[in-house]
Amino acid sequence: MKSIITSIILSSSVLGNTLPSEQRKTNKSMQATLSPVQKYLQESSAVFYDSKRRVPFVYGTIVGSDGLILTKASELDEVEEFYIRIGAERYKEPTILNKNETWDLALVKVEAEGLIPVKLDGNSEVELGTWTVSNGASDRKTRRPRPGIISANKREIKGGSPAVLGVGFKMEDDKITITKITEDSGAEKSGLEKGDIIIGFDGKEVGDDKEFIELLKAKAAGEIVKLKIQRDEEVLELDVELMARHKLFGGPQSRNDSMSGDFSERRSSFPMVLQHETMLSARSVGGPLFTLDGRFLGMNIAAANRVEAFAIPVENLKSSLSEMKIASGL
Amino acid sequence: MKLRKAIYIFLGVLSMQALADRLYFNDLATPKSLDDLRAIQEAMQSNLSRAREATVCLQIGEGSGSGVIVSPDGLVLTAAHVTGGVGEEVTVVMEDGTEYQGVSLGLNAKTDAAMLKITDSGPFPFVKYDKDDATKLGDWVFSLGHSGGYDKARGINVRIGRLVREAETTIQSDCMLIGGDSGGPLFDMTGKVIGIHSRVGASKEESMHVPLREFQAHWEELEKSDFVGEGPFAKKPVPGSGFLGMMVEEDSEKKGLRVTELWEKGPAEKAGIKVGDLILEVEGESATQELLKSSLGQLGSGQKILIKWTGGKETKEKEVKLEDRP
Repeated sequence: MKSIITSIILSSSVLGNTLPSEQRKTNKSMQATLSPVQKYLQESSAVFYDSKRRVPFVYGTIVGSDGLILTKASELDEVEEFYIRIGAERYKEPTILNKNETWDLALVKVEAEGLIPVKLDGNSEVELGTWTVSNGASDRKTRRPRPGIISANKREIKGGSPAVLGVGFKMEDDKITITKITEDSGAEKSGLEKGDIIIGFDGKEVGDDKEFIELLKAKAAGEIVKLKIQRDEEVLELDVELMARHKLFGGPQSRNDSMSGDFSERRSSFPMVLQHETMLSARSVGGPLFTLDGRFLGMNIAAANRVEAFAIPVENLKSSLSEMKIASGL
Repeated sequence: MKLRKAIYIFLGVLSMQALADRLYFNDLATPKSLDDLRAIQEAMQSNLSRAREATVCLQIGEGSGSGVIVSPDGLVLTAAHVTGGVGEEVTVVMEDGTEYQGVSLGLNAKTDAAMLKITDSGPFPFVKYDKDDATKLGDWVFSLGHSGGYDKARGINVRIGRLVREAETTIQSDCMLIGGDSGGPLFDMTGKVIGIHSRVGASKEESMHVPLREFQAHWEELEKSDFVGEGPFAKKPVPGSGFLGMMVEEDSEKKGLRVTELWEKGPAEKAGIKVGDLILEVEGESATQELLKSSLGQLGSGQKILIKWTGGKETKEKEVKLEDRP
């Protein structure tokens, strides 16, 4: 079903009385009003810079006083090398300790001490319409607050597994049957064919599509899976490289996408998100989301479109962080 | 008699009181403190549940827009480019997923105002609208709508902003809108509808709404299903432009019109009419070549013609929607 909105028009066609631009919702005077909240952003945000171009490309949320930072994993893939600023301080040679595909999180470590982490013991219970504060822009020393409001119900964002083989499949006679191979996908390169029946995944037997999807969801782009397939009378084992869904199927897909500007490539399949209306772009996610009282609600994870931004709720962030710490031997 | 007079006076005083109760934060150049922001938030939140109950998703053919109920019997304000025409069948979806049937009433093709009526019986949750044109530039506003179409898990999307520009037939806010929001309501912080979402500008925080005064200027015409004005938001049906896709000849027994040929996938064929069927009535009168011709001569593409026909066993009657000539 298509969504209706008239075409984008030039604002010059609306003449009449105009509010001075500095009085608008996200402009300078509002930043001054938000200055009591700015200190929380200043303390607990990290700014990730592309070392080559020396520009910020994503934010991070400080989760350990000893230099542990969470950020949006898929944005890290976009640069070769990066450095980090916290406050006015610059940290070279950060290490990526662990990635979590389900939440699109990366745990990064810099050599630091005495940082002020966000409070992970809180909860994300918050009434619709509550003001929020996110990172809007940044210079070398200062993080700038951008206002928003909680704009819809907390929920799961569906969207299939983030890493994909590049196949379409369905259950036929109780068997997982390949119905489509996507061009330039790992599936095509591996020699997988239409009509193949999937019977094994990384040494395990799989019987139905739901189980198969669950196994895929735990995998990351770039990983190789061993697929056991049945083709006519033959049983074959194929190595298939997974690709990021947004890379294989990416690009603006709808009219709403084309009017949304610079949105996050990975913006779906999150088990739970808080949604807020904040003017964010792909480059301004990764940082913390606060209330006016400086209560930490979660971490901004996607600029989904022109009107919707998503944050991982603090409860989910806390449990993912524990898992990632264990996985990195911390 | 005395009592009635007293009540009138009392009501008069109340409404003057309402005007005096202008929310203080609307007159600040910018909120000065977090408490000012909290006051804005509280005002909005106190009106949010009522406003959400009255905001609906409108599904028309393949498209999806928004609207807002303004009377207990189900009068809905929306945008002309959402309904697209007069007399269109609309599915009205409440936030909880309850569906009602509705039909589009009048529209203004120049300003993008439109109305529709829920045809199921009410009462429906509704909100008040700004009858006094009381809003001013800089007023804080909130915007509701089914962005991108109905999504039960998400619910209605809430946006906040200020009135940043006022012109004769358009008001502009810095709430953010997207496809699917069209036709949805813009509220002031007392919970009154002050505008209907129409279109967006190139920047994200540039949203245009039809002010309520534009609805009020043509309220009766819109209610009685008039097509008002000419402009970019709806195409007025051109009489004689409607295509039915059916060839007929006078039946030998003069009982109606015999269908001799049908345009493949044309409106008549889609309605279920078959070659050999007998058309009995057109627009409620006995079918003749002249009647069919003159009826079609008055109707345009997108409008409907009432046809009664029989295939021998059973008799059917349907409103067949005319299309553009292929």
